[in-house]
Amino acid sequence: MFCLAALTCSVLVGQAGPSERQTVDAAAARRGRQIYTQYCINCHGALAKGTADGPDLIRSALVLRDRLGNELVPALKRLPGHKADLSSAQVVDITHFLKEQVEATAKDRNADEPPNVLTGNAEAGRAYFNGAGGCARCHAATGDLAGIGRRFKDAVDLQQRFLFPRATKPATVAVTAADGTAVKGQLVRIDDFNVSLRTAVGEYREFVRGANVNVEVDDPLARHHELLDVYTDQDIHNVVRYLESLK
Amino acid sequence: MRTLLFTLCAAGLFGQTDWPTYNGDYSGRRYSALDKINQSTINSLALAWVYRANPGREPQAGGGNNAPVIKGTPIEVNGVLYVTIPDHAWAVDARSGREIWHYAWKSKGGWHIGNRGAAAWHDTLYFETPDCNLVALNMADGKERWHKSICDLEQFYYASVAPIVVKDHVITGVSGDDLDIPGYIESHNARTGDLEWRWYAHPEPGTPEAKTWPSLEAMMHGGGMTWVPSTYDASLNLIYFGTGNPQPVIAGQGRMGSNLYTECIIALNPDSGKLAWYFQPSPHDTHDWDAVQTPVLFDGEIGGKPRKLLAQASRNGWFFVLDRATGERLVSSEFVKTNWALGVDAKGQPIPNPAKQPQKDGALVTPNQGGAINWPSPSFDPDTGLFYANAARAWSVYYLYDDGDKPEGWGGNDRSGYSEAMLQAIDYHTGQVRWSHKWPGNGGGVRSGLLSTAGKLLFAGDPNSNFVALDPSSGAPLWHAGLHASLTNGPITYELDGAQYVVVAAGDSLYGFAMRVK
Repeated sequence: MFCLAALTCSVLVGQAGPSERQTVDAAAARRGRQIYTQYCINCHGALAKGTADGPDLIRSALVLRDRLGNELVPALKRLPGHKADLSSAQVVDITHFLKEQVEATAKDRNADEPPNVLTGNAEAGRAYFNGAGGCARCHAATGDLAGIGRRFKDAVDLQQRFLFPRATKPATVAVTAADGTAVKGQLVRIDDFNVSLRTAVGEYREFVRGANVNVEVDDPLARHHELLDVYTDQDIHNVVRYLESLK
Repeated sequence: MRTLLFTLCAAGLFGQTDWPTYNGDYSGRRYSALDKINQSTINSLALAWVYRANPGREPQAGGGNNAPVIKGTPIEVNGVLYVTIPDHAWAVDARSGREIWHYAWKSKGGWHIGNRGAAAWHDTLYFETPDCNLVALNMADGKERWHKSICDLEQFYYASVAPIVVKDHVITGVSGDDLDIPGYIESHNARTGDLEWRWYAHPEPGTPEAKTWPSLEAMMHGGGMTWVPSTYDASLNLIYFGTGNPQPVIAGQGRMGSNLYTECIIALNPDSGKLAWYFQPSPHDTHDWDAVQTPVLFDGEIGGKPRKLLAQASRNGWFFVLDRATGERLVSSEFVKTNWALGVDAKGQPIPNPAKQPQKDGALVTPNQGGAINWPSPSFDPDTGLFYANAARAWSVYYLYDDGDKPEGWGGNDRSGYSEAMLQAIDYHTGQVRWSHKWPGNGGGVRSGLLSTAGKLLFAGDPNSNFVALDPSSGAPLWHAGLHASLTNGPITYELDGAQYVVVAAGDSLYGFAMRVK
């Protein structure tokens, strides 16, 4: 799909389709599931995704068009080998179950439960942390990362934070203006034309960039960004397992 | 009224002063021969007007109804701009930015992610609506002439693409990837709107290409949406467009194979819808890397031979140059560094690394789902011979949620992380990046298209809400204007009464810059 913005992609849920769609009644869907299990499941499968003996009902245009049985009731009477004597109320319950499956599929880009990322080797992760990864140059298991394994409810969030950390201190910038004036401070904003900063005493300064203006940015996350081209997935899973063990 | 046919009749026609199609002409180069705005005059370029699109407060049905954002490229014909957002079209005076008329469509649903623009033919304007309609309007007053259904809202299709008119065919594309539905492209009669042909993004059952799917069921529900307008070569009588991701999007284990014709560059006869050739930038995609980026047409030399060429900077980070008469691949190269391919096959198509497909415990992949580039248009400058892409290096972790035999929908997703943005200038002869201008700051992906001109200028948006003109031969920034938001479409240019204009959108506003040479 095309994203509104890269960062919003992961949280989008399926919202296409007609606005006048059937609203799923949870109680009816539960009843419908029971009826479905009794009469339909053998051919159409436990999740209505079809089997060798019956088509996928989530991908069925008839099911998608249906509103409260207006398509399904006549179809069950028309199609050979189907349960023609279900009451209309029973078929409506089935439609709620099927619509529930459709809605779940349309939102299938969101995990029902966090993925298990604790597949690595903690000892190998410790070795990487202290060795090839160079993590110990800035971090310590008994220092800033003490108890890191307790800080995240789900290890997948720990994995994301390890790979894409938030800055614990802002980037800094040193600007030397054309007249030789040198100013340092926290970087506020930079583009090709301007750079702005806040000095240690809280003063906001903005400079127009040019050939005679020297700008040096120090991003504390730069090393983390470089490592994205270095990590193997096994390194990542080992380090996550190690970090998770720091309780 | 001057006929549109004249301005449309050739790609990059010398003397063209309008911007009558999505890409300005049929070639997709987004290059203008206008040169009043040039490296010598650029610092006199001034804001002439701002037009703010106001769709009104009446709520529309369907998802994604957020604040109005102009993601479409306006067209400019005879001094009038035609600009769209989902469900809305406006005519705006191209000299003054004043509204002439506003047309509002009453929606029945669909995903309101964006509208890429309108097409014009004689005195009729065409645009697509999220609830699956092609609407034809009278260009003079915005009155509706007719509308035709182009997709089934019930199956969760929707429509966002800018139509393109080729001869008297209105070529439409479709969108949607919540459910497992096939993508297609249609031709409608420009006068009546009647359907002329539909080409599905899957092979005919029983053909060799159909063997790229494990089953008929998987193939018929295999996706391949047509998100971006076509380009057209009149001499070859072929239209060119890309197809989107296969379905299910992330969990690919139920559709093993290369999954033709998803993730393909496609050449079709516009009169019959008959396939001429295909090339697949992302075989068996599992990262949502729609290969729909504009197939850009230009003529050049490769290996000392003159060629009719087609180039695409694809969302997966790879740049391809093809012979557009035959589909023969001439160049395959990364335009940003990626980590997902093992190399290229005999056809020049990247070979996906199975280890970098989505995993239960996550795989670190670059580019991310947003891609090394997305829908915003690239540009090709015949003066420099360089192909420009407003690109990103972005990383995310791809997770597989559904590892069953028959996942549906998505079955996984990525979680985004760090990204950096840069403008890449690519030598089409080799695919090598001639120069790269990294946009300062951590701006992530840039959603700005590009424009190059005979004024030796390359216009772009940066991640910091600047509209920037650069030297196309070096990437040096020459001029900028700070807007209230980052660019949300591709810049266009046109000339009226001897003045050259450049128009861009940021959020709900069009900014018109003018160079009035006395």
